[in-house]
Amino acid sequence: MTEGDDGATGSGGAARASGARLVRLVVAGVLALAIVLVAGVAIGRLSSPTPVVPGDRSVEAGFSRDMQVHHEQAVEMAMAIRDRSDADDVRTIAYDIATAQSQQAGQMYAWLEVWGVAQAPSEPTMTWMTRPTLDGSYGDHEHAGAATPGDGTTPAPSHTPGDPMPGLATPAQMDELRAADGVEAERLFLTLMIAHHRGGIEMAEAILARSDDRQVVDFARGMIATQQSDIDAMQQMLARRA
Amino acid sequence: MASSDKNKPSVKQQRDARRQEKVAALKRQQAVQKRNRIVGISVASVAGAAAVALLVTFVVTSGQPRQDPDDITVAGVQTWDDLTANHVTGAVDYEMTPPAGGDHAGVWMNCGVYTEQVPNENAVHDLEHGAVWFTYDPAQVTDDQIAAVTDLAPSTYSVVSPYEGMDSPMYVSAWGAQLAFDDPADPAVADFVTKYWKSSNAPEPGAACTGGVDGPGKVS
Repeated sequence: MTEGDDGATGSGGAARASGARLVRLVVAGVLALAIVLVAGVAIGRLSSPTPVVPGDRSVEAGFSRDMQVHHEQAVEMAMAIRDRSDADDVRTIAYDIATAQSQQAGQMYAWLEVWGVAQAPSEPTMTWMTRPTLDGSYGDHEHAGAATPGDGTTPAPSHTPGDPMPGLATPAQMDELRAADGVEAERLFLTLMIAHHRGGIEMAEAILARSDDRQVVDFARGMIATQQSDIDAMQQMLARRA
Repeated sequence: MASSDKNKPSVKQQRDARRQEKVAALKRQQAVQKRNRIVGISVASVAGAAAVALLVTFVVTSGQPRQDPDDITVAGVQTWDDLTANHVTGAVDYEMTPPAGGDHAGVWMNCGVYTEQVPNENAVHDLEHGAVWFTYDPAQVTDDQIAAVTDLAPSTYSVVSPYEGMDSPMYVSAWGAQLAFDDPADPAVADFVTKYWKSSNAPEPGAACTGGVDGPGKVS
């Protein structure tokens, strides 16, 4: 009986004591967490190699690898039509595309070298386009960049890893282009290159939505602007050959 | 109940005993609390240190695995330095079979998959442009192995072709580097592609591997 009474009075005191202790514990815990966070981030930032550059599986590296392949085909198509056409308008834009995209492919090649990552992809093509966007939204397939090129809307990850890149000509289409001649070859080239540029713009919009790397962002913006103006010019050339 | 008066403790003794019991219980309780506190502090310290270490690791690596191709060691690879890269006409006597760089024809061969043996001099020009070249000895490989090697080849800047009379069933070559293998699943083969495909070891990586000449038996 006496022990029971002692316990009752004791538990009242203990409740007060443990309440105070809980407050102290929570405060100490929050403080400790804050210190740990600040210390961790600070030590991490200070000891990591600066500047932090895109890594092997970054969206920037994925874009730089895939877009090189995309550009290389544009160069191949442009050089092919220059061998098969005498028309100044088509030969001039083909020259422009071949030289510009060779240079751009070289830029992307050099980025990968500077970033210290392999040229060879570590993931299937287009994997980077399935990654979340900077604003966290994924968007819908219907809003894909290709449908509304150049309008700055968030392009959708309407692709799955390993998909062919948008706008790439198939091997059969490339054979057809190489087998064609004169106006027929010009029409085919213009049609294929318009689709190729639209796909390129879709990919450029996809990287804009996913990267804040200054070089890559500037590059993608420039690509969108020039390829859109190319598309307009090529559509007029195609209309003249209707 | 039946204890004798002699053994029965006095009231004072009983009180003392009870007090001692209480003191002992209190001491036990304090000991337990002390031990718990030490355990608690130790666990919290270790957890705190672990959290800092984890954060540091996370921030340093920042979710970006880094694998500089220069740091990759390909098991069994053979390399050559100081290869010449002149444009020549006619046949070249290469110092390794299949060739992994050296003088070559002025026109390169279009990259792709071939079912017939292709001219060394044109294929070596592809290596100069950063391509990798998979060769298999038809007498030493199965169709499944040919299919596996074709799957390993990147979609651009690669050549796959048969090559008779090699001293290994399969080879993968780049400019100045070569790996013999008998199993396409050998991880060294994938390492070779990661390290040498379009590598800056080649004299002109990224120069065209299209728009040249087709070799015989081009399928894709």
